[in-house]
Amino acid sequence: MARLARPAPADTAYLEVRFVNLLKQPLVLHGELHYGGPGKLGKRVDEPYHEATTIDDGAVEVRRSGKAVQRFSLERAPELQTLLAAFGALLGGDAATLQKFYDLRAQQSGEYFTLTLTSRPMGGAKSKPVHVVVDGVDNEPGCFSYYPADGDASIMLLGSRAGSALPQPLTRAALESVCHRLAP
Amino acid sequence: MTSGPTTSGRTTSGPVAPMRRAGLIALWLAALALLALLVRHELIISNDLRSFMPPPQTADQRLLLDQIGEGPASRLLLLAIHGDQTTTLSRALVTALRGDPRFTQVLNGDTDLSALDPALLPYRYLLSPTLDHATFDAPFLREQLELRLQDLGSPGADLLKPLLPRDPTLELLALAQRWMPARAPELRDGVWVAPSGEALLLVQTRAAGFDPVAQGETIEQLRATFARLPGAQPTQLEISGPGYFGVLVSTRTRSEAEWLSLIGTFGFAMLLLLAYRSAAVVALVALPLASGALAGMAVTALVFHWIHGITLAFGVTLLGVAQEYPIRVFSHRRADASARASLDAVWPLLRLAIASACIAYVAFFASGVTGLQQLAVFTIVGLLVAGIATRWLLPTVMPARFHDVAAAPWLERVRDRLDALPRPRWLPWAVLAAALALLWFAPAPFWQNDLAALTPVPPALLQREGILRDALGAPDVRYLLVLEAPDDQRLLKLSERIEAEVEKWKDLHFVDDVELPSRYLPSLDTQRARQQRLPGRSQLEAALARAQQDLPYQPGLFAPFVEDVDSARTLPPLTPKAFAASALGARLEAMLSTRDGHSLALATLSGVRDGAAIASRAAALSADDGQVSLLDLKGASESLVAGYRARIGRALLVALLLLAGVVALAFRNVRRAWNVIAPMSLATLLVLAVLRADGIALSLFHLVALTLAAGLGLHYALFFEREVPDVAEERRTLHATLVCVLSAVLVFGLLALSSLPVLRAIGLTVALGVAFHFCLSTQMARRRM
Repeated sequence: MARLARPAPADTAYLEVRFVNLLKQPLVLHGELHYGGPGKLGKRVDEPYHEATTIDDGAVEVRRSGKAVQRFSLERAPELQTLLAAFGALLGGDAATLQKFYDLRAQQSGEYFTLTLTSRPMGGAKSKPVHVVVDGVDNEPGCFSYYPADGDASIMLLGSRAGSALPQPLTRAALESVCHRLAP
Repeated sequence: MTSGPTTSGRTTSGPVAPMRRAGLIALWLAALALLALLVRHELIISNDLRSFMPPPQTADQRLLLDQIGEGPASRLLLLAIHGDQTTTLSRALVTALRGDPRFTQVLNGDTDLSALDPALLPYRYLLSPTLDHATFDAPFLREQLELRLQDLGSPGADLLKPLLPRDPTLELLALAQRWMPARAPELRDGVWVAPSGEALLLVQTRAAGFDPVAQGETIEQLRATFARLPGAQPTQLEISGPGYFGVLVSTRTRSEAEWLSLIGTFGFAMLLLLAYRSAAVVALVALPLASGALAGMAVTALVFHWIHGITLAFGVTLLGVAQEYPIRVFSHRRADASARASLDAVWPLLRLAIASACIAYVAFFASGVTGLQQLAVFTIVGLLVAGIATRWLLPTVMPARFHDVAAAPWLERVRDRLDALPRPRWLPWAVLAAALALLWFAPAPFWQNDLAALTPVPPALLQREGILRDALGAPDVRYLLVLEAPDDQRLLKLSERIEAEVEKWKDLHFVDDVELPSRYLPSLDTQRARQQRLPGRSQLEAALARAQQDLPYQPGLFAPFVEDVDSARTLPPLTPKAFAASALGARLEAMLSTRDGHSLALATLSGVRDGAAIASRAAALSADDGQVSLLDLKGASESLVAGYRARIGRALLVALLLLAGVVALAFRNVRRAWNVIAPMSLATLLVLAVLRADGIALSLFHLVALTLAAGLGLHYALFFEREVPDVAEERRTLHATLVCVLSAVLVFGLLALSSLPVLRAIGLTVALGVAFHFCLSTQMARRRM
């Protein structure tokens, strides 16, 4: 896991596909992720619209051109909190934090790896688990997939993969297999 | 004081055997205990300032009495959590306090989407101003749906998803934001934080601000709730606000008064021990006063059932005169006569003093103010019972062994000195001239009308409150914007009409925010107008279909939205009464009241910078549809106190005239009456002059203290003026007066050292008064043998 750690600050391009139950087609976003050290994350959307989100010590700010800044707390969005903890801990190489939030399962095969994280119950046992899957080669994460409890999914292709063409038709299974193809 | 050889005497006919005496004392104490029990059960001691104040004269005063301490701003507590994890604790505290009936509102900056009762959800289209400038047509909906798509792509998507099908225009969010204070602190983790990092909260208590007892319980509960929160141990909860200060000041006043009284009582007991060399006397001297006070309270309970705490304090102060009765009895006890015979010699004068004081207090009863009437009943009954107890009960329980104080050689030396003092005829006139000059030229304002100035809050706490109030944008305690209209609906329309002008006041920085009632509930007409603008079901479905074109939303996703809009079109518009069931409706209801069949709204203001400008512009808003005015609570309360003081002043003047009349009538000799009344009046004037020269502005408490001192002074003058058969009796008079003067100076002089202006006012005035009365009585009333 330590191989995934990145010195802050670090930036990487992403291509995100969100499968939302409320929508009949997935949302596709392009932009850049920013890691500014423990607790500090940034996400910029360049396509299909402009938006900048910063997360600093639990406070989330969303800025859009011509709109008032939206602010909310991570505590109001426990799922998001879990996700960001995973993301930040991975980039920071912080196994302790990661294990606080998740059960870890790692598969390694040569240079390919798949890290599966299943959230531990937070805020009451009733909450359904959230899954995060990281696929990569060597010390480079290629896919970061997030499965919130409501059945939606967000799959992010990172770094050099962000420029790759998306499978057509664009389905969850097709994209997942793109990510898993990284592994043998 | 009783050094040297004294005659140890045994009364010729010992009044009662020791065993029987002990039995009588036990009986007396038992009777007092019974009275105390009756008082405890029957007398309600009120903390409601309204029961202390006289009936209001002006509309503002009337409103003040309605609002005093119950106004929304004075019920606010400002909280700050210091330490780590403060934002988490802030959230936990809000969860713990919501639903606690002691708190009517708990805010920490968290946008509370549950503020609107779920049953009222469709009403959001009638409450939110969105429809005033938009219609739910295809272009508007298209823009909204595009924005929601971006929201679904943002990290906050999980928050939005449950809301989206029912509320795609996020009307709930718009309402929640409209109901937030306009100028709020910075948000961190979604809750208010101060620049220095502590989490800030605003809590409105159900208990009135003036009620230190109820506030004390509420604050205790608040602290307990906070302490129970996980992770609260290493942190600190800071509380501020008028209610908290009330608790603080009343606790501090009580503890300081108790502490000083304890020292005073100890000193008094030592003084009595020195003066009479008898522990029994020390024990017995308190009985008449205790009897008087308890009887006074019992009768007040039977007549009025309640009394205000301040009135009671005034009454007990005035009853201090009765402390002299037993002292006179003990000092005038003669070795050559029985206790009763000794008492018979001084009783006519004591009786005159008691009767004249009681008649004088009738003036208070005639004032027509409940508080003063209670004071009169309490004091008159107290003095009468203390007198009766002194005359008929005390002699039966007096110890058989005693020292005739007349035998003390030091007393004769003091008497000689006093006799040798020159008594120039011009001296009283010179004192009068000096006193009048001091009164005339003293620079300080004559009256202190701010009752709060007498029990001040430590400046550091006030400063801290100012910082927190400013940071929280919490309402000002001094001002209220008063809206008045024939009924609730016209009142809400008036509120809507002045919204634009109030926005201007904010732009001009007169004020940060005004919480108008229409912020929470628009008038029925406005709600109907918004209903008119809502599209019909088919129209909305068509617009929605067009707006959704090429957008990836699932077909039929917005059916709950269409349902809500459809039901909103036919809902009966919300009235304040129907709204009152929800949390926000309760807040609105607290703002509204009726007076003389009119509807009244009291809107709080926060961050008032220019009260005068708001007052004049508010008055200009009044029109046929209603009245708007700015109420200055401080101004109204000061005018009320000034009016009250004028009534007390008048009652005192009448009382003094009655007193002089009774004394003259009893003496049937104007010259002798003059010898008694003149020093008493001059000494009272002199106290006033000295206080003024010291730059002290006078309050109700000074007036009451002056009255007590005058009552004591009357005794000195009466007894000095008395014709006595021999020098021994004159010595006894001097002994009694010295014990009285010294004990009063000791007890009240201690109060004068207090750090609290209210205790200082009473202590200094009485101590000075007693000293002046004594000096002037020896000069003007005392006979020379």
